[in-house]
Amino acid sequence: MAEPLVVFDNVVKRFGAFEAVKRMNFEIREGEFLAFMGPSGCGKTTTLRMLAGLEQPTEGDIRLAGKSLVNVKPHERGTPMVWQSLALFPFLNARENVEFGLKMRGLDKPTRARKALDWLERLGIGEFAERDVNSLSGGQRQRVALARALVTEPKILLLDEPLSALDAHLVIRMQGVLTKLQRELGITFVYVTHSQSEAFAMADRVVIMSRGEIAQIGPARDIYRTPASRFVAEFVGRNNIFAGTVNAAGNVDTAAGAFTLGGKAKPGENVSFVVAADVVSISTAKPAAQNVFAAQLISEEFVGSMVTLFFEAPGGAEVKVQVQERLLEGIPREPGQQLFLSFDPSHAHILKG
Amino acid sequence: MAESRPAKPDYYAIAWRMPLIVWQGLFFVGPLLFMLAMSFFLVKNYRMEAAFQFSNWSRMLSKGFFWDAYAYTLWLAVLATFITSIAAFPASYFLAFKASERLRRWAIFFLVIPFFTSYLVRVFAWQVILAQQGVVNAAISYLGLGPWQMLNTQFGTMVGYLVLCLPLAVILQTFSLANIDKRLVEAAHNLGCGRLRAVFTVVAPLAKTGLVVAAVFCFILSFGDFVSPYYLGGSKPPTLSIMIVDTSKSGQQWPRAAVVAIMMIATLLAVAFTAIGFAYRKRGK
Repeated sequence: MAEPLVVFDNVVKRFGAFEAVKRMNFEIREGEFLAFMGPSGCGKTTTLRMLAGLEQPTEGDIRLAGKSLVNVKPHERGTPMVWQSLALFPFLNARENVEFGLKMRGLDKPTRARKALDWLERLGIGEFAERDVNSLSGGQRQRVALARALVTEPKILLLDEPLSALDAHLVIRMQGVLTKLQRELGITFVYVTHSQSEAFAMADRVVIMSRGEIAQIGPARDIYRTPASRFVAEFVGRNNIFAGTVNAAGNVDTAAGAFTLGGKAKPGENVSFVVAADVVSISTAKPAAQNVFAAQLISEEFVGSMVTLFFEAPGGAEVKVQVQERLLEGIPREPGQQLFLSFDPSHAHILKG
Repeated sequence: MAESRPAKPDYYAIAWRMPLIVWQGLFFVGPLLFMLAMSFFLVKNYRMEAAFQFSNWSRMLSKGFFWDAYAYTLWLAVLATFITSIAAFPASYFLAFKASERLRRWAIFFLVIPFFTSYLVRVFAWQVILAQQGVVNAAISYLGLGPWQMLNTQFGTMVGYLVLCLPLAVILQTFSLANIDKRLVEAAHNLGCGRLRAVFTVVAPLAKTGLVVAAVFCFILSFGDFVSPYYLGGSKPPTLSIMIVDTSKSGQQWPRAAVVAIMMIATLLAVAFTAIGFAYRKRGK
C-alpha cells in the first residue's frame, strides 16, 4: 500500500529549552479533513507551521507524498495556508491577492486573471474582485484568503484557526463552505483550531494535542464517546467523570454512589470512567434501572432545542445532563429540585491513565 | 439641526498654539516673505535699494552658469539619495528582521551617536581621511597604490553626503521595516515566493512610506547642503548653496542670491510634496 500523503516520523521541535512538540508520529491520509485541537501552547500551530516549512523540526522527518520535506524551502513546498490573521497583502486588491501564488509560478497575466476570477466567483465574491481588501468585510476577506490558497490547486491545504476572527453566525456559514469545498475538491485539509465545535463539525479525524503530544487521534465520535485519557475527557467536556475503587461485588464505589460497569472493571482496581452528558436519564420518581442516584439541580443552560442541566451529586461532584428540551416536559426544573439520574452500564467508558 | 451655533473660540487651545505660531511666523514665514520681496530689490553702488524689478530674476534664470549649478546640485542630491537608500537597505533589513531585539537597540544607539557631534566637525575629520597625504592614501601607499585624488572631487562631496544621510536613513528604514507584519512575509513564502523576491514584492511595498520618507530626507539634506561640496568637494563646480554664498559676497548681490534660494526652496517643496503624496497614496485612488 502506498504511503499516506503526509507522515510525521519522530518529529521533535524545540525552541531553546522549551519542547513545543515531543516526538510526534502520525499520518495524514490523502483527501481527509484532519483537525488539530488543543489548548493554546499545545503545539498544534507549531505542527502546522512545520508542515508549511515555516519552522524546521529539531529532530525527525516529515514526508509529503513519500518525499522528505526537511530540506525543501517553504516556497517550494506547495502547502498553501490560510492564516488566522488572513495575511492578505494590503497593497493588492482582492484579485491581485488571489493571483499572487500564480504570479510566483510564472503564469501569464490573462491566465492568472481568469483563474483568480474563477475562484472568487466560485466563493461568491466575484463582484468584489477589484476592491481593496481593506474595504471588504470579515467574511469576504476570509473567502479571498481561501481563494488565494486554493487557486494554485494544491494537494493539501493548511488552515490555522481561520474562523476565529469571525462572528458566530459567519463561522457556521464558513464551516459549510469549507466542508463543501473539501468534498468537491477531494484535497486534504489540515485544520488547526481551539474550537471543539469547528473540529467536530468538519473533520473526518480529530487530533487532540496536549503539551506537545498527541493525546488522541480519531473520528470526533470516538473522541467524544471513548476518550483515551482523563485529559481528553475533560478537554472535550460535556461529560461526567467518576472515580472510585472497584469493590468485591464488581461495583465501583464513587462519591456519588456505587455503580456497576457491567463487568468492565476488576475488583480492587482504582478506576475513572466517563459518562457522556447525553446518555444520562432524568426522572422524578426513582426508576427501576441500574446506576441510579439522586442529585440536586443547580442550574441549566438553554441553547435552542438542547438544554444542559447541571446537578450536584452526593459528594459534591458536578453532573451534566444534556437532553432535548421537549423531553423535559413534566419534569420540574426549579433550582434545588431533587431528581433521579441514571445511566446504563454500557455507556460508561473506562479511562486509561 | 442644520443650523449650528457659531463656535466660541477656544482660547485655551489657542494659547497653547500661540508659541509655535509666533515662532514660525517670526523666524520662518517672515524671513521667507522678506527674501521673496528682496529678490525684486536692486543693488546700486554696493547698496541694496527697495524696488520692484524683475531684473534679478531675468538675469539669473537666463544665465547658463545658474542652470549648470542647478543641474549639478540636483544630480548630486539624486545620486546621494539613491546611494544612501540602496546602501542603507541591507543594513536596515538585517536590523529589522534578523537581528535580536538587543542588537537592534544597540545599533540604533550607535546610529544616533554621530549626531552628537556637529556635521561640520565630522566633515573636517573626513578631510583628514581623504586628503592627498591623508589616512587612506597613506594606507594604500603601502600597497604601492595611489595617491588617489579624493578631496575636492565629486567623490569627496558624495562621501560627505553619505556621512550626513546614512545614519538617519538606516534609522528611518529600520523602523519602517520592523513594523511590517512578518506573517505577510511568511504568507508570501508560503505562496511560492522566494526570499529575495519577497523583498521586492512584499517587503518594499509594505515599508513604502518609511522608505520614501528616508529618501526624501536624504534629498532635502544633500540638496541644500553647503558643507560637503565646499570642504570635501572643493566647491568646483559650485552647487546652488555655494552659489548663494558667492553671489551675496561678490558685489553685495543679496537680491540675486535670494533668487537662487527661492528656486531651491521651490524645488525642495515640489520634490517633498510629490514624494510624500506618493508614499501615502492608497491604491485604487
